[in-house]
Amino acid sequence: MSKEKQSRTVQTTGHAWDGDIQEFNNPLPTWWLWGFYATVVFAIVYWIFYPAWPIGDDYTKGIGNEIEYTTKDGKTVTTHWNTRALYERDLQEARAVSDKFAASLKDVGYADILKDADKSNYATSAANVLFADNCAGCHQPGGAGLPGHYPSLVDDDWIWGSSYEKVEETIRKGRQGIMPGFSASLKDAQVSDVAEYVLSLSGESVDDEMVKRGQKIFHGDAGCVVCHTKTGQGNIDMGSANLTDQIWTVANINTKSDHDKKLVAVKKIINNGINRSMPAWEKRFTDTEIKMLTLYVHQLGSSN
Amino acid sequence: MKHEKIETHAGLLIVLTLIVISVGGLVEILPLYFIDETIEEVKVSGKETVRPYTPLELLGRDLYQREGCYTCHSQMIRPFRDEKLRYGHYSLAAESKYDHPFQWGSKRTGPDLARVGKKYSNEWHVQHLIAPRSVVKESIMPNYGWLIETPLEFKDISDRLRALKLVGVPYSETEAEYEANVERFGEEVAKQLEIINAEDNLIEQAVTNNYDGITAEITEMEAMVAYLQVLGTMVDFKQFDDGYFATFR
Amino acid sequence: MSETNVQPYNYGIIRLFTIMAIVWGVLGMFAGVYIALELTWPIFNLDTPAITFGRLRPVHTTLVIFGFGGSALFATSYYVVQRTCQVRLSSDVMANITFWGWQTSIALAVISYMAGFTQAREYAEMVWPIDILIAVTWVTYFIVFVHTLARRTQPHIYVANWFFVAFILATAILHIFNNMEVPISLFSLKSYSLHAGVQDAMTQWWYGHNAVGFFLTAAFLGMMYYFVPKQAGRPVYSYRLSIIHFWALVFLYMWVGAHHLHWTALPDWTSTLAATFSILLLLPSWGGMINGIMTLSGAWDKLRSDPVIRFLIVALSFYGMSTFEGPLMSLKSVNALSHYTDWTIGHVHSGALGWVAMVTFGSFYHLIPRLWETKMYSDRLIFLHFWLATIGIVLYISAMWVAGVGQGLMLRAFDEYGNLAYTFIETVEFLKNPYAIRALGGAFFLIGIVIMAYNVFMTIRQSRIERVALEAKIAAKLAKA
Ligand code: HEC
Ligand code: HEC
Ligand code: HEC
Ligand code: HEM
Ligand code: HEM
Ligand SMILES: [Ca+2]
Ligand SMILES: [Ca+2]
Ligand SMILES: [Cu+2]
Repeated sequence: MSKEKQSRTVQTTGHAWDGDIQEFNNPLPTWWLWGFYATVVFAIVYWIFYPAWPIGDDYTKGIGNEIEYTTKDGKTVTTHWNTRALYERDLQEARAVSDKFAASLKDVGYADILKDADKSNYATSAANVLFADNCAGCHQPGGAGLPGHYPSLVDDDWIWGSSYEKVEETIRKGRQGIMPGFSASLKDAQVSDVAEYVLSLSGESVDDEMVKRGQKIFHGDAGCVVCHTKTGQGNIDMGSANLTDQIWTVANINTKSDHDKKLVAVKKIINNGINRSMPAWEKRFTDTEIKMLTLYVHQLGSSN
Repeated sequence: MKHEKIETHAGLLIVLTLIVISVGGLVEILPLYFIDETIEEVKVSGKETVRPYTPLELLGRDLYQREGCYTCHSQMIRPFRDEKLRYGHYSLAAESKYDHPFQWGSKRTGPDLARVGKKYSNEWHVQHLIAPRSVVKESIMPNYGWLIETPLEFKDISDRLRALKLVGVPYSETEAEYEANVERFGEEVAKQLEIINAEDNLIEQAVTNNYDGITAEITEMEAMVAYLQVLGTMVDFKQFDDGYFATFR
Repeated sequence: MSETNVQPYNYGIIRLFTIMAIVWGVLGMFAGVYIALELTWPIFNLDTPAITFGRLRPVHTTLVIFGFGGSALFATSYYVVQRTCQVRLSSDVMANITFWGWQTSIALAVISYMAGFTQAREYAEMVWPIDILIAVTWVTYFIVFVHTLARRTQPHIYVANWFFVAFILATAILHIFNNMEVPISLFSLKSYSLHAGVQDAMTQWWYGHNAVGFFLTAAFLGMMYYFVPKQAGRPVYSYRLSIIHFWALVFLYMWVGAHHLHWTALPDWTSTLAATFSILLLLPSWGGMINGIMTLSGAWDKLRSDPVIRFLIVALSFYGMSTFEGPLMSLKSVNALSHYTDWTIGHVHSGALGWVAMVTFGSFYHLIPRLWETKMYSDRLIFLHFWLATIGIVLYISAMWVAGVGQGLMLRAFDEYGNLAYTFIETVEFLKNPYAIRALGGAFFLIGIVIMAYNVFMTIRQSRIERVALEAKIAAKLAKA
């Protein structure tokens, strides 16, 4: 390698492997060496300020880098730098912004929030994402629901009542939609008859004989009236569906074109009963969040 | 010493390399067992609320691993405001102290699941696992229909609990161990941790809750949903002051 | 012809490992493209348990890292250690054990993941009997390698071998300590890990990072240190740099695993150590790049004519880039954004495709003609492979940067009220296009290695034909005489 043309004459280390592999003995590039020193300095400085080295059953906490924050309940805490304290401080800073809005919603009636553009914009912006991340899995984006599984929140029918208080209670505590199945107590023909009667309540029946027989069962032995009331309009206190309004939230009727299929769908409900639940959210959300969601959901459906 | 010496002695090269590569692991792993603050104390009225999994939940967890859910889902909420708003309180070390192995994950193709427990109903989970796109149109999660078609295999449940006991999870075999668990977690939990009753407990939990919606049999779906429903539900953060858990860091 | 005469070197074992590296490479990258398609269009899961994303992803990582990468390392380390020590492998039998042990482990691992048997810890998913098989194989590898070193006819151990030694030692330690587990019975594949929660996480990422550090980096540097000077026909740039960066790398690497656990429930002190040691790693990592590039720098003229040099230079560039990106992502503030997103996946593949795969391709195109004593069947196909691979990488990585940074920013965005600006599912929708582009880039890369496989197959065939012709000639001559 004597023909090597370089500014400095470099030498190889003198060994050759596998015939021709040799090594120059170039010095470390200066920029490389200084770069490395710089990272060493960086590391040492970092270790001084942040928790770093374990010693026995403790570790260095870092100095000169204290974090001070105020908790939600007003306590002021000073501590060495750590990710959780940093988080508390971040929350505190965020509260400075959002508390303004959140506080503005506190103790204000739903109707008054709606009247105030600032407040309602804030509430809608929060509820939008809350709804999409938490509720849309069931009620679908926009609240349209999933026929046969999860009720629509955009129609006029409220299984559990439409007042703000009722809706808030629904969200806070969750709901259980429970109806017993009748496959054991009613014969198949009887189930068909009641089903035809139920369909007749919203003007969907074709067989008057069946309706007549069904009406008897509905009001008699089966005891449907206990929950759905004599008029079939249901009872919002127990979440028993209104059977007269052409809105079906469990039986998947509206997607069925011919009468037989509708009858089968209703029979399925009567035979098997219903057991579905809406989760409770009071543990997951703050009061304000629940309030904003209530407002949001309430606006989706039309109130009465 | 000149490097020449190392280069010409294979044994020396090996020994020095061994020493050099051993330091990092020793300094970073061992202290995690000795520094008390590493795992937070989570007690409410003197009882620990983070408990080992019940037999049914444990089998669900094993299925979660079998299917590789951890390749898309993390179970570790970081202390950031956006994660708090989206997933809930940041995860504690205590919350995975019975997780052999841990399932914190390294990629969020789907959302974090550390606190998914009780967020949805059982039926929702069943429907979502069978056909995710039937509830979330844009989802890219695979369908897991076979979970509901396959009966749950649980004959080896006590072997599983015994292996876990060996690595330190407080499932109980003796009367004394049971009493210790009562002291630690309360009676209701302690009963679930008895190895002799594992199979009965499993069946009872499945029958009572019917997670899969099928009464006739216990399917794999039953265990999977039982597991998902317990995730992140063991610590009631309302019981602790803001900043309490920061004192462990 | 039977090979009765003992050859100076054992090339047979190297040929086997080389072929298997390519086979696993094709399969593993096919699996990569397939899971990329699953993420874009979930219909590809086909409702079949064995190939759903969650089970197939470990198949991909295992095939490419351990099947492709591992076999390539066995092949090249056996080649390099024999040639630089001027001595035959110490034991053919033990070398064969490493071959069969390793290949069986990979095959069993893949089958068992698809069947649902896994330890559910990244890159260490193999169930316990496979762990034991690997441990035995690895100890055998260590013995063969060190015994061969010990019998060298040269006083000096060449730098490539330092890296191989460190890789073998570290992998042994990592594998054994990270796989401590208790089977539920001797007849079940299911086991539970010894550690739990935060300690388990730390152990696993101490292992996980060093699967990257020693398997995918240090060992491939060993490969680089032989094939780069050999192909360039020039001495290694700086012996002193070799020494410093070798010891710095092997020391520092073991400290940085916790950068995979920033902001988690792992204590902050551990995180700090990982972050700072990752920064300290930057320049030692670049030491290898400098040594490689400066060695090639006297051979720029070959860049146009020599496809092997092209692969090697691109590999070194990506090595430099990913070892810059890595320390950057180790900073807690950056990691807060990048962690859990596709930015990590982009980083992985700039290292894995750009460095690991490219340096392997380059080395193989040098190695294969020598193993089979012929020329490569087609140089044009090598160029084609080069371009397909390069375009594939660029598509892959740029798509993942967009995906990762985009998703990271969306998830932490707030509106003017301090409320979240985007829902999770909006980010899933956003990822659709980048995912499709990634699949396309992966397909380019896959076609590249398939072309390589064809080229190698034809080369081997050509070598057979040449040998038969040669033997016929000799036989004819002998007959005449
Ligand atoms: C696991 C699925 C699920 C989730 C998630 C869910 N819901 Fe529901 N929701 C239901 C079901 C099921 C019902 C019907 C309950 C019944 O039939 O008694 C319901 C009913 C309701 C009702 C009453 C509708 C009526 O007609 O009276 C409201 C209001 C409501 N949900 C709001 C929400 C909000 C707000 C969220 C998110 C914070 C949410 N839901 C999340 C399943 C869900
Ligand atoms: C113990 C109370 C109870 C009894 C008795 C009862 N129901 Fe119901 N029914 C309910 C409740 C509650 C719901 C709504 C469940 C929900 O929304 O989740 C319901 C819903 C329905 C629906 C579905 C309505 C829709 O919107 O899709 C039909 C149909 C129905 N009942 C018919 C009957 C008939 C017929 C009988 C008697 C044979 C009967 N029910 C007896 C409580 C009862
Ligand atoms: C290919 C990636 C992928 C795999 C594998 C995967 N998931 Fe998902 N998962 C997602 C995505 C994307 C979402 C968000 C969309 C949705 O809700 O379906 C999700 C959502 C979820 C949710 C709802 C979380 C919430 O808070 O809304 C649960 C629960 C869940 N997955 C459980 C599982 C389980 C259990 C497994 C394994 C059996 C699994 N996932 C496998 C991608 C995946
Ligand atoms: C100095 C060099 C490097 C450093 C400091 C580094 C650092 C990092 C960091 C911080 C992450 C992200 C962890 C997370 O947030 O989850 C990561 C992931 C990763 N890196 Fe590197 N990196 C380096 C070089 C490389 C190279 C050369 C490769 C070669 C293939 C590589 C392969 C990987 C892999 C496979 C992962 C993903 C691990 C996982 O989550 O499964 N890295 N690296
Ligand atoms: C054809 C080329 C390839 C394609 C299309 C591809 C595709 C993929 C995909 C889709 C993932 C899953 C990402 C996710 O979960 O979001 C992945 C993960 C991974 N791939 Fe590849 N891959 C290819 C080649 C390689 C090669 C050659 C290597 C290594 C030598 C490699 C190593 C990895 C690793 C380590 C991971 C896990 C990353 C992590 O967990 O952070 N891949 N790959
Ligand atoms: Ca990962
Ligand atoms: Ca059941
Ligand atoms: Cu790493």
